[in-house]
Amino acid sequence: MRLNLQLKISHKGFILVLVPLVFELVFLIVLSVLLQQAEVEVQRQVRSKAIISQANALSKLFYDAGVAMGGYSITKSPLFSDRYDKIVRQIPLDLAELKGLVGDNDKQQLILGRLQTITSDGLKILGEAKAAIDDNRVDVAQFRARHMYKQIRQLADQLQDELKGLTEDERKIESESPEQQNRSRAAVKMFLVFGVVLNIGIAFLLLYYFLRSISTRLNTVTDNSFRLARGQKLRPPLSGNDEIAQLDDAFRSMAEALAEASRKERAVIENAADVICSIDMDGKFVAVNPASYESWGFYPDELMGRRFIEVIMPEDVPDTIRAVRSVRGATSKVNFENRVKKRDGSMVNVLWSADWSEKDRALFCVAHDITQRKLVEEAIKANEARIRNIINNMMVGLIIVTRDGLIESINPRTESMFSTRSHEMLGRHMMSLFADARHFSVNDPSDRQAFMETLFTKALNRIGEFDCLSANGEDFPVEISLTEFVSPDGAVRFMANVLDVSERKEVERMKKEFVSTVSHELRTPLTSIRGSLTLLAVGAMGSLPDQAKKVVTIAERNTIRLIGLINDILDVEKLEAGKLDMELADVGVASIFERSEQAVNTFAANNGVLLEMQPTGEMVHADGDRLVQVLVNLISNAVKFSPKGAAVTVSSAEIPGGFIEVHVTDRGRGIPESFKNRLFQRFQQVEASDAKKKGGTGLGLAICKGIVEQHGGTIGVESEEGKGSTFWFRIPKAQNLPKQQVQVLEPAALQSQSF
Amino acid sequence: MKVLIIDDEEDFRTVASSCLGLLGGDEVREACSGKEGLAMAKEEVPDVILLDLVMEGMDGMQTLANLREIPEAAKVPVIFCTTKGMFPEFEEMKKLGALAVITKPFDPLKLSDQIKDILKVAGFSAATVTEATGN
Repeated sequence: MRLNLQLKISHKGFILVLVPLVFELVFLIVLSVLLQQAEVEVQRQVRSKAIISQANALSKLFYDAGVAMGGYSITKSPLFSDRYDKIVRQIPLDLAELKGLVGDNDKQQLILGRLQTITSDGLKILGEAKAAIDDNRVDVAQFRARHMYKQIRQLADQLQDELKGLTEDERKIESESPEQQNRSRAAVKMFLVFGVVLNIGIAFLLLYYFLRSISTRLNTVTDNSFRLARGQKLRPPLSGNDEIAQLDDAFRSMAEALAEASRKERAVIENAADVICSIDMDGKFVAVNPASYESWGFYPDELMGRRFIEVIMPEDVPDTIRAVRSVRGATSKVNFENRVKKRDGSMVNVLWSADWSEKDRALFCVAHDITQRKLVEEAIKANEARIRNIINNMMVGLIIVTRDGLIESINPRTESMFSTRSHEMLGRHMMSLFADARHFSVNDPSDRQAFMETLFTKALNRIGEFDCLSANGEDFPVEISLTEFVSPDGAVRFMANVLDVSERKEVERMKKEFVSTVSHELRTPLTSIRGSLTLLAVGAMGSLPDQAKKVVTIAERNTIRLIGLINDILDVEKLEAGKLDMELADVGVASIFERSEQAVNTFAANNGVLLEMQPTGEMVHADGDRLVQVLVNLISNAVKFSPKGAAVTVSSAEIPGGFIEVHVTDRGRGIPESFKNRLFQRFQQVEASDAKKKGGTGLGLAICKGIVEQHGGTIGVESEEGKGSTFWFRIPKAQNLPKQQVQVLEPAALQSQSF
Repeated sequence: MKVLIIDDEEDFRTVASSCLGLLGGDEVREACSGKEGLAMAKEEVPDVILLDLVMEGMDGMQTLANLREIPEAAKVPVIFCTTKGMFPEFEEMKKLGALAVITKPFDPLKLSDQIKDILKVAGFSAATVTEATGN
């Protein structure tokens, strides 16, 4: 058996077939030998019978020949003669036949030889007798007949004896053969029974062997598969290395792999953050993973057997039932959302992913907590709504355009601003919104690219002022700033913030008009006041007491200051509005110096400051009156801040670039570095008290800057604290053009003007 | 120098005539409206008219235009005295033959000299104003 265990099943099968086959082969050979023997016995019996019969026939023929001869000799009837001839011909034939039957039996051959001799002798005698009869030699014939008779009798007896000898064995055989045959038959029967029994025995033996070596081992494997299915421990491994042992080995590997996979799967399910469960046809939980506690506050055991919809928020139950029904009809998994009521009464938003298993008649579900996602979504939605709200309600019009200027989207404010609807505007070119677009390109008013370039130059990342055109044909002033950004699809876009400044412009205009009007309206009463005070001060109305004269002078001086302030304000307004009209001409700097000196002479003298007007021969292209205004302003400032006895120097020089530079240098306290930048802004003075102490409005330098810049020049200051300052400005030099009208007016500067 | 001041504001007329009369020694007459001014100019032709631009009723421009219709006073030099000083208006004034504009407020001490300077530059003289050919 131990040896057998090493055999493969194919070998065993081979044995199972081969052993009975060999046995049956042997059995068949033996059986056929036995049958052959029986057959030989039967043949021998048949032959014996034939020999005996043939011998008897021969003997009879022989007698018949004698009888026929006897009859012929007496009767001479041809009837007997024919008969005799017939027998004579028959006897050799029968002898030959007998010879064939006897075969190679030596004893019988010998007897047969003798028989042949006897018959030929006998026939010879009979032949002689017949010849005698035929020759009518009766006596011979009779003699012969007698003699012959004796001889024939003798021969006949001999023949009888020989035949007896011949058939003796045969008769013996014939009598013995049935017995022999019976014995053979019995032997065959015995053998047959024995063979069948043996064959069955062998078959059972082999069967037993197979049961032992294959079936039981297969059963082990089968049992193992059941054990695996039931989760029981497997049987010990099968010994040997046949196919079943290999199958067992493979099965064990598979079982291990399955166990590992199952362990992993279980680990995944048990550690999953999502609730994984199956629900039966009645809607009851049949399996729940431990995540149910973390997610919903229920232990799996608490949920098992409970109806699934019990944990769903009542409001969501109808939708949930509908969704679950749809899962059963679906071929793939179905997702649906609802809210689960936690044990503590709070709720979680859940995304269910459900799959109906027709085989298990159960719903397999994964319930993913999407509360956070919902919150985020809601926050995003709220944020979107907020931003949308802001965009929809902002006072600024938003227009999103492509790089080429095609409008992609606008906000409601833009719609109302341009009196048009969004769909009418989208896809159009931004250029169509501008009333002043034709000013953007000098060469081709419809040149979109030139328009965009101008737009970018004026408004990209800065605020540009434009005139826009609404759908109903009204143009209105706007401020536009463009910002570049990259849209989510990666394309570059520009956002135009469009602010309708109509109202502001109107307010500004009104404000300026108001300031202008007020300033003008103030002039009328101031004229009377100043005139009256001056008349009083100079004693035109009779001399005043000293005290009275002193206060009238104060009143006069402050009135003059007030008038100066008003004039400055009006100048600033005009400069800002770009309405400061200038008539440019070639003017000698010397005359500017002279007129300025005249204007500030008294003031300088009163302050004990010496004016040094250096000789100059330059010519500038400028508005003379305006330049005088600038120079007077600078000199007045220099005087104000100069110590008593110091000098203020005014000079000019040509500098490269076609400019004449004028310098006003004082020896005053200087200007702090930090203040230089602000110096030319409105209402800026180095010290707050300067306005009171030194007089002035704080507008002078701003006006100077405006005037110089309108000439295309620049203004600046160099200063060293404690040592004084040098104010300078540059004005384009004369262009040697024919003289234009020289006398240009500025009432504030000269108080009067001729045409 | 005979000066006719046409201004609807009495305060101004008083101050201006004081400045001219008391300080400049000029002979000053005052009219409180364009209409009165025209009558006074016709009645006695002055050397120069100091004309207010903004007045009730007939304003300065109309007064000037009407003045030019009066043969006797047609060539009297006219100087506007105003707080307004815009170019377009100056152009209009110039077309009607105004000689200059003195803006309010003026320097009281220099008003008389200023007027005389303007006339002189324009070729007038106080003495020969009626014979002058004007601008």
